[in-house]
Amino acid sequence: MKAADFIYHRATGVAEALRYMEDYDGEARLLAGGQSLMPMLNMRLWRPAALIDINALSELAEVTAQGEETHLGALVRHATLETSPLIAARLPLLATMVRFIGDHQIRRRGTIGGSLVQGDPASEMPLGCLVLGAEINAVGPAGARMIAIEDFYDGAYATALEADELLTEIRFAVHPPHFAFHELCRRHNDFAVLSVAATGHFSADGGWHGLRIGLGGVNDRPVLAEASMALLEGSSLSDADIAAAGEAALGAIDPPSDIRGSAEYRAHLVPRYIAKALRDLRLSAQG
Amino acid sequence: MSSNEHSISLRVNGREVSAEAPARMHAADFLRHRLGLTGTHVGCEQGVCGMCTILLDGEAVKSCLLLAMQLEGADVRTVESLAEDDRLSDLQAAFKKRHALQCGFCTPGFLMLATGLKSSGRKFSRDEIRGELSGVLCRCTGYDGIVRAVEDYLGDGEAVG
Repeated sequence: MKAADFIYHRATGVAEALRYMEDYDGEARLLAGGQSLMPMLNMRLWRPAALIDINALSELAEVTAQGEETHLGALVRHATLETSPLIAARLPLLATMVRFIGDHQIRRRGTIGGSLVQGDPASEMPLGCLVLGAEINAVGPAGARMIAIEDFYDGAYATALEADELLTEIRFAVHPPHFAFHELCRRHNDFAVLSVAATGHFSADGGWHGLRIGLGGVNDRPVLAEASMALLEGSSLSDADIAAAGEAALGAIDPPSDIRGSAEYRAHLVPRYIAKALRDLRLSAQG
Repeated sequence: MSSNEHSISLRVNGREVSAEAPARMHAADFLRHRLGLTGTHVGCEQGVCGMCTILLDGEAVKSCLLLAMQLEGADVRTVESLAEDDRLSDLQAAFKKRHALQCGFCTPGFLMLATGLKSSGRKFSRDEIRGELSGVLCRCTGYDGIVRAVEDYLGDGEAVG
């Protein structure tokens, strides 16, 4: 199908984009990579009055190292995360996860900001940002504000952004030394049935500290398995620890039933995929 | 020209062109219906099948997920850029040699995706080629010939047969 009619605006700066959004009073959509938006327009699931193309805003396309922090502009494309040596060194979890997004062509166009704002409960970037504890910078008519990723989602496809706000940047603190990621897809590059990302610190005393375990595709938004994380603090990630953490994670999930799998199937997989990720984590500390 | 129709100027296959398009028209329809470049095929119009893959400023992208308006000032290459007169390009010749097409509907997508892979300058194993090629669907061949043809073209696989 073809998209319904809309007015097209090409913004040349953040201020201009914000003015357009104000003009349309919630009826306009921002066009970044367009890899989720354009299918929805073509299928007429959305009929916005206007599209505001922000692809010319090169100031939003930068990857910058700020001391220990790494800042990604909203328009940083998945292909950049895939190939940038700076990302490989400073945000290796994202560099790993990005390979699971869409396909080659989708990753040339899709952006991290677009992926976060789209807020698909099964998508990779929201989960990666959650596990890494990212902070999101948004600007609106009243100025800029920082939103913790834990507070960014109100539900599936629903964010804390106001209709007149623009996500400009995602900020990451220093990346934990160990990380692991596992995802189940029914077909190559399909949407995930579920995904698990984990990070942690391994100390000389043989214990793991500050473990973070995030789950995608098993709730209306990516969630942290907080009970599992607490259980594993200081542990050696023994097989028994891992099994207990997998069971403890079941309290954090409310999985959907859809064409990719039933809720029961997803719940069955959660402890198993947590175990895969935690065993990888344990292995990475032995290397 | 209706009020929501706009003039778009771009470079296509090395030529400067300009044409009008409504705001809502996607780039694949623009190439086909406004510029007459019907080598770019339209399959699903939702970014799944990859038939409409073109090069936008050197990168393989799906033109059904791009507005015609976004081509303003861009450098676009379509499948029409590959053959010179009656002479097939190396990539097309590899497809012919490896029997990498049957009905041919998906072929422009694979050819432009492979052209994008080549211009990235990266080396790909056969497994990696399979992964990258997952962005175009083929209902005829079972992919084996396509993977081999692209492997031949990228020049870093072992030539088989």
